[in-house]
Formats: sequence, structure tokens, C-alpha cells
Amino acid sequence: MENLEALMHGFGIALSGNHIFLMLIGVLLGILVGVLPGLGAPNGVSLLLPLTFGMQPVSAIILLSSMYWGALFGGSVTSILFNIPGEPSSVATTFDGYPMARDGRPSTALATAFGSAAFGALAGVVLITLSASWVAQVALAFGPPEYFAVYFLAFASFVGMGGSPPVKTLVSLAIGFALAAVGIDTVSGSVRLTMGIDEMVKGVSFVVAVMGLFGIGELLIAVEEEFHVKAISSKVEWREVFRTLAGLPRYGWALLRSAAIGCWMGITPGGPTAASFMSYGIAKRLSPRHANFGKGEPEGIVAPEAADHAAGTSALLPMLSLGIPGSATAAVMMGGLMIWGLNPGPMLFVEQKDFVWGLIASMYLGNVVAVVLVLLTVPIFAALMRVPFFIIAPVIVIICTVGAYSVSNSYLDVMLMMGFGVLGYLFKKLHYPLAPLVLAIVIGDKAEDAFRQSMLMSKGSLGIFFAKPLVTTLILLGAALLLMPTIWRTIGRMMPRPEARP
Amino acid sequence: MVSGRSLEAATALITGVFGAAVVVSSLDNGIGWSAAGVESGTFPFIVGLVILAGSVFNLVQGWLHARVVVLGPAELRRLAILFVPAAIFVGVIPLIGMYPASAFYVFGALAWHKRGSLLLAAVAAIGAAVALYLIFELTFQVSLPRGALGTLLGF
Repeated sequence: MENLEALMHGFGIALSGNHIFLMLIGVLLGILVGVLPGLGAPNGVSLLLPLTFGMQPVSAIILLSSMYWGALFGGSVTSILFNIPGEPSSVATTFDGYPMARDGRPSTALATAFGSAAFGALAGVVLITLSASWVAQVALAFGPPEYFAVYFLAFASFVGMGGSPPVKTLVSLAIGFALAAVGIDTVSGSVRLTMGIDEMVKGVSFVVAVMGLFGIGELLIAVEEEFHVKAISSKVEWREVFRTLAGLPRYGWALLRSAAIGCWMGITPGGPTAASFMSYGIAKRLSPRHANFGKGEPEGIVAPEAADHAAGTSALLPMLSLGIPGSATAAVMMGGLMIWGLNPGPMLFVEQKDFVWGLIASMYLGNVVAVVLVLLTVPIFAALMRVPFFIIAPVIVIICTVGAYSVSNSYLDVMLMMGFGVLGYLFKKLHYPLAPLVLAIVIGDKAEDAFRQSMLMSKGSLGIFFAKPLVTTLILLGAALLLMPTIWRTIGRMMPRPEARP
Repeated sequence: MVSGRSLEAATALITGVFGAAVVVSSLDNGIGWSAAGVESGTFPFIVGLVILAGSVFNLVQGWLHARVVVLGPAELRRLAILFVPAAIFVGVIPLIGMYPASAFYVFGALAWHKRGSLLLAAVAAIGAAVALYLIFELTFQVSLPRGALGTLLGF
């Protein structure tokens, strides 16, 4: 109960007028960068960082983390209303959120998303509160083999549980890996796969790929299939919002499962993107209504949203306790911590109690502020849905272009983005899954590094992945997920078919 | 008109060529095991082989299970109406800069669809450029490209 006492102390710090004001500002800016594709939480937080140098560390982290919550919520708004994921972690929300909004139920879709997201975030914060110091001790034993095993698990679940043709999934995943490898290799320092273009040394940013694949690609699909944005009422129907929120407990099992997946992926640095995809994939597999997935199934919104926010929140746990960021945004925040003169790691819990518990308490408050603010600002974004498609299309092209350019002030990125747009259209048209490609770009490098560091440790023997119980369990679980469809098919063939159906 | 077969084949060719390029390029970095551990070309090499093999598989599959026409003239026309102006917009950015390019793009799109007056289109075009400036240049301090025109005018 020592943790609860510390938390109460933290609330005392977070509940000041100054800090509540910082939360409001942070969340609003976060929603803005979350809604604008190309300006994601990592960019937003890094752009805000210089402003925090003069602040108290606890005020600074409250501002930055509130921006993170705002961005997580804002990313879902455009996913649902425009089918443009504002953040890579809200890509999976487009699968069912967008069809539901298109069918004339945007209020239901948004309320389902925010309700599940709030539940996921709450699960993440409770987890941090209860286990912050304890998890730090356990995770101290994590080495490169364990990290690789976790990444392997995430990738295996794609090929095994994605539902797309396995070879197409594999090609998509491998292209992502290859793109992640472009640029400077972090282990050896050598330059790879630049194809003779010097500027490619900086690598291919996932933002550029996401802008093209999802922004431009979807746009091309939309015009080709003669899709029109229906004029939807710009009002958020509050009665519908409350009715939806009250109905969420029906998806209790999905919420709990997704929050658990999210927490796990947040702590082991799989990140929110991997968590939301994995949760969506598993929900699609397990749900009795799996045929409805992709057509506006509520559980298809619940699963990625709860996991996304659970992972985004719990990603701060390893950052604080170990100095290992669980997501890109957490990495930027960790940079801030060091600039403010703090030392991320287990000692933070001993030396900087006010900072750690003030932050944790602010996470409860910040998420409440985020849910309220995002609901209040939705009418502004929903109003954009009434704008005719021939106006929206150029706006999306311009936003994607500017977004791709602003990643590293490079025109080459704009060209790449257009290329990804054509590829995205072809892939979507021919049922290649896009999600594995993006995920592989985001964490492919880290997975490769973890593998090579493991090999260095074991002097080239794969036995290191079976040396300890934890890593062996993770690897076997990944292999099982990979082979699951094949096994199920074989069992199905061996079982006698039920004859004579009535 | 484009058949499902040729679309599948074209996509498999694109991924296959990319895979081959990755394989060839990774050979420069060295593959296999060295004193410094796994060499930096190994992982891309394997990934490239997977892409190449997968593309061949998809090519054969796509060819065998060909579907009828997937893109008729009407679909192709609609695709072109979106893609051609977008490509021109991106193409002229290095010449005239992001702000004029965006303004012309918005103006062109609105004028083409002939809804509302040209005045409205002009207002929307200037509005788009100003909005870009306010959000990116001022708020987030992302400097957008000025293009050759901007350099000429001294921005």
C-alpha cells in the first residue's frame, strides 16, 4: 500500500491550478498534432521540448505527457471520420471505425473509440501505479534475446492471424523490413540500401510511408470506387454518446483482453502500433461476429483503441523504471528527462519521488481531460465531413505532401510518399495487407539490432533463444501463432465432417 | 482497360524488382558471420530473398487465378482526374514553392468542378496557403519549400 500513499502525494502535486492549465494546453496541442497526419505525437512532443527547458521537471513532463494523450485521442478522430490515421497506432482503428462512421453512425464510432481508449489508458495507469517499482526489478533481466523474442511474437501474429493471403502478408512485411534497413546501420555504422542516392542515408521514415500508403493510396481507392463522403450531421449526438458508453460493458471481455495486450506490448517495447494491430487481429480471430470485422463492427474499434492507449500509457513504465522507451514518443520524452537533469532508471523512484508520482497522478487526470476535450472538439472535425469530396481530395494531398516534407525538410520524401501512394493503391486493390509493412518500418530496425546483439552474445548460436525460460516461452508462443492457421486447417481436415445438416 | 491478371503481374513485378535490388545492394555490405558478429548486409539479404521468392509466388498465383477486368475506362478516368493534378502539384513544388503550388492546386480543383464562383475558388486557394503558413511555418516552425521562384524573389 506504499504505492497508494505515494500516489496520493502525487495527486497533491498534480492538482494545482498551474498543472491543470498545462494539461489543458498539452491535450489541445496534442489533439491538433494527432489530427494532422504527418505531425504525430513524436514530432509534437519534440517541437514542444525547447519550451520546457525553463520549467520544473514535473511541470514539463505533465505538459509533454498531456500532449501525448491528446495526440493518441486526436489520431483516432481522423481515423474514424476520414480514414486517415493521424498516428500509426490508430491505423487499426480505421478498419472498423471508418466504415461505421460512413454508414451514418459517427457519434457511435467516436464514443466507442474514446470509451475503449479511456478504459485502456486507465488500465495502463493502474498497472503503472501498482507495479512501477516491481516491474523495474523484473525487467532488469531483459537482454537482447528477450527483446528479439517480443518482436518476433508481434510479427508472427501478423502472418499467422492476419487473415490475408500468407505470402502477400510475408512480402508486405519483408518490404517493411527492407525499408527499415535503409540508411545507417546502428550496429556497424555502415550505410545500407541507398541504391546510389546519397540522401537515402537518412532512411525511410514511417511517416512518409504512412502518408503515401494510407493517405494517397486510400484516396485513389476512394475515387476509383466512386466513393462520396456522405453529408453527416456535424453535431455529436450526446444521447448517442452516453448510450454507447453505457453499452460498452457488453464488450467487457474484449476490453480486458485488449487492455492486457496493450499493457504487455507497452512494457515490452512493442509499442502502441504493434499492440493495436495485434489486438485487432486477435479480436477478429476470436469474435463470434468475425465476419463483420472491417464493416463497422464495434468490437473492431474497441480492440485496437483499448490496446493502443493501454500500450501508449504503459510505455512510460519502462522509460521511467529502466530508461528504455516503450514507444517513439516515450523516447523523445526520455531525451527531455535527461535535458532537465534527471536520470531515467530505477534510481528515479528513489531520488525523484515527487517527479515520478506527480507524473503518474497527472496521467489519471490528463486522460480525463483528454476525453472531455476531444468530445467537445469533435463537432469541429465532424463539420469537415460535410465538405464535398472534390475539395477534401486536394486538401488531403496537400496535407500528406507537407507532412512528408516536414519529417526532415526533404523533397525526396515527397517523391517517396507519392510512390508509396501508388503502391498503397495496388496493394489495397489486390488484398496485400498494409499494416505489417508499416509496423516493420517502425520497429524492424530494433528487431534486427536485438537479433544481432543476441548473436554477438552467443557467438552466432541460435541456442540463446532457448537458454532461459522467459525467452523460450516468448519464442515458442510466436512460433505457435505463426503456425496456428496451418494447424487449424490440418485438424479441420482430420476431423470427420458433420454430415446431414438440417 | 486493365485486367486483374495484369494488375497482379505488375504489382508482383514491382515488389520482385525491389527485392532483387535489395539483394544486390546488400551484397555490398557483406553477408554472413564475421569477427564483428552478423554482417550488416545479412538481414537485408535474407529479407530481399523473401521478397523475391514471394513475388514469384504471387506472380504465378495471380496469373493462374486471373480475374476479369478490374479497371474499366470510367475507373481509369476517375483515377487520372485525381492522380494527374496531384502529380503535377508535387512536380511543380521545386519550381514555384509549396505555397503557390498549393494555391493553384486548390484553385484548379474548385474551378474544374465548376461549383461556386471563380471568386470563391480564389478565396479558398489563398485561404489554403495562409492556413499552411499559420499552422506549419508559425506554430510548428516547419519551413516549407520556397522553390526556385522563391529563391528568385529572395524569400
